[in-house]
Amino acid sequence: MTQKIIQIPTLNDTPEDFQQLFEMSNQVNGLFEDVRFDFSNCKFLRSNAVAFLGGLARLIESLGGSVIFDWDTLRSNSVRANLCQNGFAGNFGYNAKAWSGHSIPYREEMEPDMNEIMDYLTFSWIGKWVNVTDRLRDAISGRMWEIYSNAFEHSDTEVGVFTCGQHFRHRNDLILTVVDFGRGIPAKVKAFLSQFVDEARVAKLSGADCVKWAFERGNTTSMGGVARGLGLDLLKDFVRINQGKLEVYSNDGYAIIDKEGERFDNSPISFQGTVVHITLRCDEKLYRFYDEAEE
Amino acid sequence: MKLSIKELVGPRCIIKEDGQKIYEVIHGLLKSGETITLDFNGVSQFASPFFNFAIGQLLNDISEDELRRLLIIENLNESGSMVVDRVIENAAQYHGDKDYQKIVDDILEQQARESD
Repeated sequence: MTQKIIQIPTLNDTPEDFQQLFEMSNQVNGLFEDVRFDFSNCKFLRSNAVAFLGGLARLIESLGGSVIFDWDTLRSNSVRANLCQNGFAGNFGYNAKAWSGHSIPYREEMEPDMNEIMDYLTFSWIGKWVNVTDRLRDAISGRMWEIYSNAFEHSDTEVGVFTCGQHFRHRNDLILTVVDFGRGIPAKVKAFLSQFVDEARVAKLSGADCVKWAFERGNTTSMGGVARGLGLDLLKDFVRINQGKLEVYSNDGYAIIDKEGERFDNSPISFQGTVVHITLRCDEKLYRFYDEAEE
Repeated sequence: MKLSIKELVGPRCIIKEDGQKIYEVIHGLLKSGETITLDFNGVSQFASPFFNFAIGQLLNDISEDELRRLLIIENLNESGSMVVDRVIENAAQYHGDKDYQKIVDDILEQQARESD
């Protein structure tokens, strides 16, 4: 069997970096044999890339292929230290144990174990880096759960959900990326609407149209007589208050919510799945409840 | 009747399965006109799936006025209250029979306008 070598470039978290990740995903799509990831050109790798690559590797494996991360090609000591620290390297064949530092652990969840995920969000993510009251820490973790709820309930992912985060000390930003390789929001929205509307008309909806629809309060693809569709709405409100940034990339559409407003657009490169990437500012003044007086 | 949510589901009101558990305990009692107090003392984390199922779906066959009269919520912190308010507002506006044809037509019309 031939081996496909995929170069991992230097990856930050701009929309263009996400497109590069989706392009990598498309390179292995349909091959699903032996894939070797090469780090020769990688000088920097953010948590969004870590979560995405971990998920992509598990997806390939689930389809019968094999994956090797070629650690001998990794020249950047800072990338190596980061991947060892957050546990990614240890998960993929490198002999290193994770340790606590500025990284936030890489995680793979096959099942939505609520208590494990909430512990991670509460104690390894927000609670570790932002100096807020327990009450606020708990409130923020609850908002973040909405991402997992969507990923497990709506994506129909067969390989689970992948998470990584990072705290950037100098900018004081806290990041969380959650990735699934499920159907994707536009595919799910189109399948849902096709039950009620002529399929040819639904097919004309763009990726941006579908992602925007999913963000509107009360819109849900769930059936069964229970009002839903608040997860993205609550998350959006929270990020706005925090002056942070929420990015959702799914199939051929994406949304960016930040202090500039809400932008919904079509992606130049489509991929099957959803990435939710949140950047929060670690300024405790931005998180206060109304009844918590400033000191 | 007073129910301790912490005793029934623990300190996290997050998932829909726990919400459904509460719904099944209170729905019949509320339908028969009984007043119920949900005590959230000791519960610290909240998310919408729990409240959609515990409280939101009560509005399928109980009016909002009736629900507000019969269901008393105690010791719910600001974060939980904010989610409950949003869930009740959403459930009160919820119609299983939305006009999806019109929704799709409107989106496509907007799409055409933007591409002009």
